[in-house]
Amino acid sequence: MRTRSAVVLLAAGAIVAALPWAIGEGVLRLLSEFLLMLAMAQMWNLLAGYAGLVSMGQQVFVGLGAYSLYLTSVSLAVAPYWALPIAPIVCALVAAIVALFLFRLREAYFAIGTWVFSEVVALIISKIERLGGERGMGLPTARLVDPRWLEPLNFWISAAIAAAALGGTYLLLRSRVGLGLMTVRDNDVAAASIGVDVWRNRLIAFVVAAAGCGLAGAVSFTATLYVAPSFAFDPNWVVEMMFIVLIGGIGTLEGPVLGAVIYFALRELVTIAFGLSAGWYLVGLGTVAIATMLFEPAGLWPLLRDRLRVDWLSVRRIPPPLPASAVALRRAPADAATPASRYDATRDGGSSRSAG
Amino acid sequence: MTLLEVERLEAFYGDFQALFGLSMRVEAGETVALIGANGAGKSTFLRCLVGLLDDKRGAIRFAGQPIDREPAERISRLGLSLVPEGRLLFPSLTVEENLLMGALNERPGSWTLRRVYDLFPVLAERRRQMPNALSGGQQHMVAIGRALMSNPRLLLCDEISLGLAPVVVDQIYQSFARIRSEGASIVLVEQDVKRASTAADRLYCLLKGRVTLEGSARRIGLDQLSRAYFGA
Amino acid sequence: MIWVETVVNGMLYGGLYGLLGVGLALIVGVMRVVNLSHGEFIVLSAFIGVSLSGMLPWVYPLALLLPVAIIAFGLGFLLQAALVNRVVTRPDPFASILLTFGVAVVMRNLMVEGFGADPRNIPSGRLAHASLAIGGLSVGVLPVFILALSVALFTALQLVLTRTRFGRIVRATADNRDVVRLMGVNPGRVYNAVMGLSLALASVAGMLLAMRSSFTPYSGVERLLVAFEVVVLGGLGTFWGAMAGGIVLGVAELLGLRFDPNAGPLYAHLLFLAGVLLRPNGLFRART
Repeated sequence: MRTRSAVVLLAAGAIVAALPWAIGEGVLRLLSEFLLMLAMAQMWNLLAGYAGLVSMGQQVFVGLGAYSLYLTSVSLAVAPYWALPIAPIVCALVAAIVALFLFRLREAYFAIGTWVFSEVVALIISKIERLGGERGMGLPTARLVDPRWLEPLNFWISAAIAAAALGGTYLLLRSRVGLGLMTVRDNDVAAASIGVDVWRNRLIAFVVAAAGCGLAGAVSFTATLYVAPSFAFDPNWVVEMMFIVLIGGIGTLEGPVLGAVIYFALRELVTIAFGLSAGWYLVGLGTVAIATMLFEPAGLWPLLRDRLRVDWLSVRRIPPPLPASAVALRRAPADAATPASRYDATRDGGSSRSAG
Repeated sequence: MTLLEVERLEAFYGDFQALFGLSMRVEAGETVALIGANGAGKSTFLRCLVGLLDDKRGAIRFAGQPIDREPAERISRLGLSLVPEGRLLFPSLTVEENLLMGALNERPGSWTLRRVYDLFPVLAERRRQMPNALSGGQQHMVAIGRALMSNPRLLLCDEISLGLAPVVVDQIYQSFARIRSEGASIVLVEQDVKRASTAADRLYCLLKGRVTLEGSARRIGLDQLSRAYFGA
Repeated sequence: MIWVETVVNGMLYGGLYGLLGVGLALIVGVMRVVNLSHGEFIVLSAFIGVSLSGMLPWVYPLALLLPVAIIAFGLGFLLQAALVNRVVTRPDPFASILLTFGVAVVMRNLMVEGFGADPRNIPSGRLAHASLAIGGLSVGVLPVFILALSVALFTALQLVLTRTRFGRIVRATADNRDVVRLMGVNPGRVYNAVMGLSLALASVAGMLLAMRSSFTPYSGVERLLVAFEVVVLGGLGTFWGAMAGGIVLGVAELLGLRFDPNAGPLYAHLLFLAGVLLRPNGLFRART
């Protein structure tokens, strides 16, 4: 098993390394975008699917990551890639501080609170002349990079970020922190009563997600060579993250991958095949999201997984076998509000339809 | 006439089965007691009757009409009223408003606000107060009054003596005579066996979701009863 | 003097913000749902108002408030009956916000495609510029009217909820959705009416806002955030608290604009965040 995964990873790495020479720049651009979107979606999934925090202001970290990169790169007159590490650091710090305010709000109120925070940051930045105000600023230091390497570098970095997002989340969830997170998501009162530090687990998830989105945002805007508040802090970032996760399968690691594929396919279909303007793909995306929430709230991946009987990146934990005397306890009444099994990492959409 | 007929009722909470083929009946004008320990399935049974539990199998007929697939809203309009366990009054409504909620069904009958206040005079004094200002016994009175306001043909009472002083329970049970004389049949779910058997015509005993004993309330011996209640 | 005037005008517009928020507060209180498409429906009402005003140019815009409110009621009823009622019973607290967010995205983009992204407004004629002199201050006539209307609507809402049979049913359903079925009430139908009422109130606010300033299909976001801030600041579950929250935000925004003409809603947002930090339960304690 180990050697097989190692071989798969090596092969993937080789493909990623060679791809820029095999395909055209347009497709490479699209792939980079796909990978970054996937990374951001995984971050949103980490928050909502595993930590139980629905953030509607996640775009603030995308924008802050981009702006901190631009500012650092231009001020220090270095090529953008050297300034990349600044993005996640700044976002992590901001996240840690703003959590003080926002964690006082529950559920839906936290969600909108993050959105308010995003609007505040966007408004403040659009008043700072040094950052170009409302018009935004360019990235002249991009010229320090040989233009032939610009797209390939972007692609490789995007691939690395996507891999880190997937891999990092996987490792995090398999760790103690991950188990803590999932208990918090399922029932924060119960979690607290067994000694899980709810606040700290959520803070870790929030900070990690902020850093991840910041890094992805920074790379994304390195490719566009221009940043402005209306693009950097556009709520559509979180709309896309959210819908990718919802449609693909919230609370699973494979779900966002499926969701991202569907998202891009839909977008290309609507804008290229049908030739409609960009707004229409959002209408389509929104409609699919609504349908998913109504009929398959667990998303499409769980459906596919059960059909194909695979379990690729599952973070489910297998409980130890029960002693015979405890077997009788399994017939105890199931509380309608909790998922079928406490060890199941996936959010069980079926639980919402059980007797209540 | 047989007012209520239940045949082989099975009820489920998800994977867990609470009732196993329960059959019982209530004749018009009767008072039937349903006794059993905690978890025997008494409240589950009542919830099935009024339509609050959907996951069930078997037949339930009220005045000849099948109600096992009907939603709770419609069942209440047929004249089946529940005094829920724990009273479950509306905390944002005053006593009088709670009672008025019971009258939404507008069925023909003699129960009005005035008659309920006649039955429970203490409520008339407290009509504008909020439920949490009332004592437990008084809250029970409101719950019963609320159920009466719809002029039910069958009144289902879930554990109305629970947590109350005997004197208060006496008062409430005395009101049953009045309620019966106005034409309602009553199903009393109780843990207090003595109370139940004195007030009722017939009784059923439940244990772990099954009927273990059925018969005339006055003719069942204590020995027989305790075996049925606790299981042999 | 100009500061006092600004504060007074802010208070008057605050009534409008309160109205924006009370619709949201109503459905949060009754069905524990946060409707993220609230803002989009506000903007849609304004677009309907603009269209009606265009079709019937001889009708005074303020007279269109009632027909638009009725249309908004119908839309809310439909939204609840077709979509939100299906997720209201789920234990997952996020199902409704994710669903309504989807609705918001679809509506926003459909409005862009349908109405275009150009700013619009509802012309209110001479009323917009008329002003009264009260105690040496110059106060706009429109803002006074708006405040009066807001107070009237708030009062009417309170009366409906506390003195009518319908209000009793709504409060009972909010208390216990299951027990109320035992009294013959279908909670789904109650929710439909409440959502309709929520959007009708919001549509009035939306129309009045459209008379004061221009809007685009993207304005829904700002409206939603204001409505939400009003609800949280005022204290979840109280209506007059929402009015007070609206006034506080209105004053903050207008004062901020005096300092800083390009700030937009920045100062209102900052006040909200400060409020969250200092008084997370709102300015007034919630009733339930």
